Amino acid sequence: MSGAVTVSFPAQTQYVSLARTMAAAMAVRADLPIDQLEDLRLAVDEAAAQLVLDAVSGTELRCVFTESLGTLRIEVRGTTMSGTVPATNTFGWTVLTALVDDVTATIEAGEVCVTLHVKRHEPVSA
Amino acid sequence: MTPVDTSPPGDERWGDEQRARERELLSVLSTTAVGSSEFSAARQELITMHLPLVHHIARRYRDRGENYDDLVQVGTIGLISAIDRFEIERGLEFSTFATPTIIGEIKRHFRDRTTTIRLPRRLQELRGPIYTATEDLTGELHRSPTVREIADRVGISSEDVLEVLEAQAAYSAKSLDDEGDDDRGGVASTLGFEDPGMEEIEYRESLRPLLEKLPERERQIIMMRFFKNMSQSEIAEQVGISQMHVSRLLARALGELREGLTAD
Repeated sequence: MSGAVTVSFPAQTQYVSLARTMAAAMAVRADLPIDQLEDLRLAVDEAAAQLVLDAVSGTELRCVFTESLGTLRIEVRGTTMSGTVPATNTFGWTVLTALVDDVTATIEAGEVCVTLHVKRHEPVSA
Repeated sequence: MTPVDTSPPGDERWGDEQRARERELLSVLSTTAVGSSEFSAARQELITMHLPLVHHIARRYRDRGENYDDLVQVGTIGLISAIDRFEIERGLEFSTFATPTIIGEIKRHFRDRTTTIRLPRRLQELRGPIYTATEDLTGELHRSPTVREIADRVGISSEDVLEVLEAQAAYSAKSLDDEGDDDRGGVASTLGFEDPGMEEIEYRESLRPLLEKLPERERQIIMMRFFKNMSQSEIAEQVGISQMHVSRLLARALGELREGLTAD
């Protein structure tokens, strides 16, 4: 299947759980094994938490999930005060790189966008 | 034992007879030896006669998503501790003394529970089968199973499995400590703080003390997952706990580290 699912919420800590829950639901659709699912939950939590900490007050965070069998791509976007991509020499970034297969950070239209890629490690069983 | 009267005590005022009996029992407690049969009988009767008070207080909190029986249970713990601490010489009315203790115990219960997701009983009962299926499938497939595979094995929907896993992840502090803290020293010795992966990390000076504050096993798991790039399943196997447990420990430890790193 294709098509993206988008969730927006105020850039505040108490809403981050929404992104986490959504990530888990999408991981089920992508048929990821549960250790990868739990990793993804943590990764989305971490990415969203990083953006929330730096968010311009009153702005929203947007998570865009794109799923196909065995792979999942998640963008976490927000408007931050620093307006720069997150540093890659932090513990938080180390955590992200360990939790997902690939993670990149870009600036797009004034927004910081952290993109997480997950690919199912094992072949999909029947 | 007399049947429990759950009607609010305010509705039917205690008669003089009951009041006199209460005084009598309280004085037995202050004059007999703790643990003597007379003492125990008096204490038991006091508990029973004040259960309506516990129910009355618990009822005020019943709409907040907690199981009513659980509230009565913790309230009763408050009642018992009030009975044990009551000093008859001070001339206080017992119910005046006990009420804040009962309320305190119920409030503490809510405080302890605020971070956990409440599972409906139906899902509560699925926890065991899901856990067993996950462990079995991990052994059979030599990898972590998918939610769909677990759902098929248990014969329930993927949504139900996911909901239980989610609640499980949020279970945090409480259940973790119950699962035994047998330290398996073998792993600890292979993981030092001088791991090469940490050298490039900014703030590692502030990270280090935070890591040191974590319980031994959580620290090991953090190091294995993030600096040794072991998967949750590999860690589970090496440490000798379930992957679900690894996942909960990781979530909790990361939360604590993040809190610590952003605190200043």
